[in-house]
Parts: sequence; C-alpha cells; structure tokens
Amino acid sequence: MLFMTRTLPFLFCFAFGMTGFAIYYVPHEWAQSVEREFALWLRLVYAFAYILGLVSLLSLHWSKIRQRQAGWAYSLIVYISFGVMFLFVVYNDGNGPFTSQATTGPYQWMFTSIHVASSATMFSMLAFYISSAAYRTFRARTPEAAILLVSAIIVMLGRVPIGAYISDVIPDTMQWLMSVPNMAAKRGILMGVSLGAIATSLRIIFGIERSYLGGGGD
Amino acid sequence: MDRLINIDRRIIFIFIFLGIAIPLLVDIPLPIKPTPTVRSVYDEIERISVEDADRPVLVSFSYGASTVPEMVPMTRAILRHLFSRGRKVVGICLWPEAVGIAQPIMDELAVEFGMEYGADYAFLGYKPGNLAVVLNLGQSLAGTFPFDAAGTPVGELAVLKGVRNLKDFSFVFDFAAGDSMEFWWIPFGQEKHRFPFAGGCTAVMAPDLYPFLQSKQLVGLLGGLAGAAEYETLIEAPGSATAGMEPQSVSHLIIILFIVLGNGVYFTTRRRGGKA
Amino acid sequence: MTKDSYVLIGFLGLFAVANASLVASGVLALDWDGIGVIVAAGCTLALYSFLYKDNPLFKFAEHVYVGVAAAYIFGITWYNSLYGEILVSYFDIGAEGASGGGHNPWVLLFPTLLGLLMLTRFSSKFGWLSRISFAFVVGVGAGLTIPRYMSSFLLGQVEPSLAPLSMSWAGLNLLLVLIGVITVLVYFFFSVEHTGTVGHAARLGIWFLMVSFGASFGYTIMARLSLLIGRISFLLDDWLHVM
Repeated sequence: MLFMTRTLPFLFCFAFGMTGFAIYYVPHEWAQSVEREFALWLRLVYAFAYILGLVSLLSLHWSKIRQRQAGWAYSLIVYISFGVMFLFVVYNDGNGPFTSQATTGPYQWMFTSIHVASSATMFSMLAFYISSAAYRTFRARTPEAAILLVSAIIVMLGRVPIGAYISDVIPDTMQWLMSVPNMAAKRGILMGVSLGAIATSLRIIFGIERSYLGGGGD
Repeated sequence: MDRLINIDRRIIFIFIFLGIAIPLLVDIPLPIKPTPTVRSVYDEIERISVEDADRPVLVSFSYGASTVPEMVPMTRAILRHLFSRGRKVVGICLWPEAVGIAQPIMDELAVEFGMEYGADYAFLGYKPGNLAVVLNLGQSLAGTFPFDAAGTPVGELAVLKGVRNLKDFSFVFDFAAGDSMEFWWIPFGQEKHRFPFAGGCTAVMAPDLYPFLQSKQLVGLLGGLAGAAEYETLIEAPGSATAGMEPQSVSHLIIILFIVLGNGVYFTTRRRGGKA
Repeated sequence: MTKDSYVLIGFLGLFAVANASLVASGVLALDWDGIGVIVAAGCTLALYSFLYKDNPLFKFAEHVYVGVAAAYIFGITWYNSLYGEILVSYFDIGAEGASGGGHNPWVLLFPTLLGLLMLTRFSSKFGWLSRISFAFVVGVGAGLTIPRYMSSFLLGQVEPSLAPLSMSWAGLNLLLVLIGVITVLVYFFFSVEHTGTVGHAARLGIWFLMVSFGASFGYTIMARLSLLIGRISFLLDDWLHVM
C-alpha cells in the first residue's frame, strides 16, 4: 500500500516534472505536442480544483451548522445565498445549464449588486486601517526607516497630480526612485525568488520535498 | 502628546472619508502629466495601428471584483484607444470574476465605436489554469478557447482568421490585479514568443514590475488609478480615473500629514525623554 | 437594549428612509437597476459598519457575499470549462456540442480522470488517490517552471543589469542599478557572515531595499485609497446622485 500512497505519486511527479523540464529544450514537433497536452491537462485539472474548493467551503459551514457552533446562523446565510445564486446559475436567464453563459438576467444582477459591491468594499476598507497604522507606527526611528519613510512620501506625492502641482521636481524624483533604486532592489528580490523557486522545483521533482502529498503515513 | 498619538482611530477614518468625499463633490482641477511608462503603452498602440494594422490585439483580463475601481477605468481607457484606432480586439479572462466585468465593458465600447462582434472584436470568456492557459495559448488558440463566450466555435470568428497562437497577435495587453504579468505572461508566453507585451495593474503590483520595463520584457505599464488617469489624458477622454485624481491627491496629503504629525510627536517626546 | 443596538436600528432606519425618499423623488427607479443600486449600497454600508465596530450587520453582509461568490465562481467554471470544454467534447450536448467544436474526447480522458481523482480527497478510504492528481499538478508545474524562470528572471534580468556604461546620467543610473542588484543579492546571501566589505555591501543593499519597500508602501496606500474612492463615488453618485 505504501507504494500506491507514497511511491507512485512520487514517480508520477518525477516523470511529469522531468518531461516538463526536458521538452522546453527540444524544438521537435513531438515535444511541442507533449507540451500542448500538458498545458491542456493542467487547465482541466484546475477546473476540478474549483469543485474541491467549493465542497471544502460548504463542508466547513455545514459542520458549523451541524454542531451549532457560535455564529452558526451566519453559516446558514452562506448556504441560503449560495443556494439562491446557484439556482440563478442553473437557470441561466432561462437558457438552462447546457448552453453558453447568459450575460444578462438575475445571475449577472446578483454578481453586480452583491458580489462586486461587497468585494470592492471589503478591500477598500484597508484604506482606513492602513492610514491609521501609518499614523501610529510609521516612524523614522533608524536611518533605514527614515529612507523608507522619505521614499514612501516622495512616491505618494509624486504619483498623484498634487506632486506636479507643488513642484515638477517631485514627480521627476519619484520616477527616478522607481526606475533606479526601486528597480534594482526588485530585480535583486526577483532573482532571489526565482533561484528559490527553481531550487524548490528541483527538490519537488527529485522527491526531496514531498509536502504536497499531505500528512499521514499512508 | 500621548493622547494625540492614541486618538480614537475612527477620527482618522473620518478624516480619510472627508478627504475623499469633499474633493468628489467640489472640483479641484489638477494637471495630470503622463509618465514615460504610460506613454510607452500609448506609443506602442499608435505604432501597431500604423505598422501592424492587420493582426488583432489580445487583451487579457486578470482581475476580479475587489479591484474594480482601479482596473475598470484603465480597461475602458485602453479599449477606447484600441477601438478608436480601429484595432481588432480579442478578449480573454484569466480570472473567473473578470467575465462579468469585462464583457459588458467591451460590448458597450464596441457599440460606441461601431465595432461588430465577430468581425472586429470577440470575447472568448474564461479558462481556469492560470499559467497553463498562457502556455496553451502559445501553442494553439483554438485548443485553449475552442468557443467564444457565446458558444460560437472560434474558427467561425472573422476577427481570429489566421490566428493560430500568441505569435499571431500584434500586441498583447494584460490587465492584472495579481501576478499574472510577472509569473504567467512573461515566463510562459512572452519569453518564447517575443510578442510586444504591456500591461495595466493595480498600484500594489506596479513597483514589482519595473525590472521588466528596463529589460524590455514589458513595453509599458499603467500602474493603478493614476496610470489610468494618465492614459485618459493621453487619449483625451477624461473619465472616472481623472475624476479620482482629486480625492486621491487630497487623501495622500492627509496621510502624509498624519505621518509627519506622528513623527513630530515621536521626536518631541523622545527629546523630552519619554516614550511614544 | 444596548447603545450599539440603538445605533444599529438607527442605521437601518436611516437607510430605509433614504431609499424611500430616493425612490419617491424619482432619483432611483423602482426597477431591477434601481433595486440593484439599493442592494449594492446596502452591502457597501453594511460592510463599512465594521469601521465602527464588529456587528451582526457586517457579519450578515460578509456571509451573503461568501455564498454568492462561491456560486458565481462555480457558474463561471461550469459554463467556461466543466460544461463548455469537457462535457461538450464528450457528449456533444447543447449548442456548442452540436457545432462540432471542442476537443477530441480521447485526449480529455486522462485529465478528466486526474480531476475526478482530485475529488477523492473527501473520502477517508480513497483520499490517497488524490495524491496522484496533486503529484501531476506539482510535478508538471515544477518541470515547466525551471527553464522559463531561468530564461525570464535570471538571464533576462542579468542582461540589462550588465548593459554597457557611458559617461552620462543614463550611464550613472545603469551603474547604480548594477550596484543595487549586486548589493541586494549580497544582503540575501546568508552563507557568508555580513562583516567587513560584505557587511558594507549588505548594508548598502538594505538601503536599496528600503527605498523599494517605501515605494511599495506608497503604491499600496494609493491602491487602497483608489478602491475607497471607487466605493465612495458609487455611494455619492450612483446611489445618492449628489455628484
């Protein structure tokens, strides 16, 4: 059983990983068609992953309702709103689920009125908290913190029209900061990150890193 | 001094709210000066409109509902520019929520500029898979998007005549709220096929993309609402981004003043030997 | 009743009165568009009520959003992929199927199997089968990533860093970029003790990083404020029509 639960997935990972790596360097049509199939397969497996996420979310809220955990009524609201929207998904503005997606009707209405409004609002709330945090904690305690603070202020002023309104030097300085020191640092980080990603990928392919298999002995 | 630092955060919230609401209600005209990274995108679209007018442009919508206020103005500005130059445009989504946001905008602007669906533009919908979609597009467009969003086989769309893969587009533009430009389009698309590539992203993402501008992996970049406002200025079609620059400027000033005040209190208290 | 309960009831009452007067004055039509704006304004204000403090209205709106979002994403995945690409290719159903487009169903057998195996994750008995799917995703992802990251992020970024220098501002900037990249990489290289020359280089690297973090902070503030501008514009313009 250990072969099926640990060794077989590793062999799969190794075989697909090595093939995915090698075909990049082979310009032959056969290699290109393998790459095409890999990309298609990956895409389709991702689609199933959405179901996995959905079932996981609904199970979480179902267990809250079943065990009458604190705030279980809110989990019921998740189910009700999911159910209503799901009906509209299937209804598809009167066309049913076995055709292309309708661009009008209650499904689109729910999306615009509830989903877009709520999602954008949730993220916009961070504006308040980030402002409050900046006031309370953004201090020039050290030379490094002072550099960070000055850079932030130049960018905040230079990136909006008020900077140019005060002086043309501000947007020009901002542009230089972004294109030279910021760019150099981001490039250094990018190189470090990509080296890390390459190293991790190699560890995965050669079975040194197996955390994707999850916990448990079998 | 301690009281000044420990004021109820809701007072700061009110200042931020007023700093946005008042400039929205009262007009404060401020000059908008396009930056070189934004101008490069404009110049590239102008260039392909003259030098590469036959091939369509691919626009990829990789954003969701959470960033609508930032991404929609730049979507409108870029599509407006493309349609105004008579460019054929093909839209795809790499984020699921983008379908319900981008398709109505494309349809609305197409009507405004008299573009015909199928002949002048097409919307192919969403495919899951992130980087795999980009990789797949590099090999076969029809293999990645067999149908458009309305269920028409892509082979029947005149706008896609002669388009086999990414190489056959004159220009690719990605609207990105995440890392799609950096980690999907550049390594899995642009790296191999070398098409002219530019993007518009949320302001959060913009600083990370500067290395790709100098390396020419990106032709240009629209960063956040300010980038969209600069583009609206370039195409002489002021919209919601331009209107947003007044509250954006005032709210930035308020936050800077709060930071300066916080530091003033900190240094004053420290000089007196206290804690802040 | 606590003070917060009064605030909550007052808030709901004010919202109802505001909408009633908007509809009565003809500012908002009582059709699906108008109701949509009212619902969106309600969601926005309910979520913003968290700024006062955590409350049932916020939690209600938050959970409605989660449910709607989950079903919406499912819908998109269904119409664009599960039905629109997989089922159509297998069974020729619907308008798309009748058009004869889609993939060769034999090509889809393996990825469909992998996708279905992924769903065994929920079974305690057969959950191990999902590891095969994860092994495929992770393995192929890793294999495809290595050469492309090397080309795009290492070679593609080293080349412009080593561009020829000249006696000009542009040349000076190129030199600064080169110094910045090297010193930042030195800072991240922990296998050597950061003392002496290496220490000085690492410290310079920190300064470059601080400029970059400051820029990111400034841009993040800008991003969040842009989102807030969008929502306040919606409330003042689309809902209240005072702009």
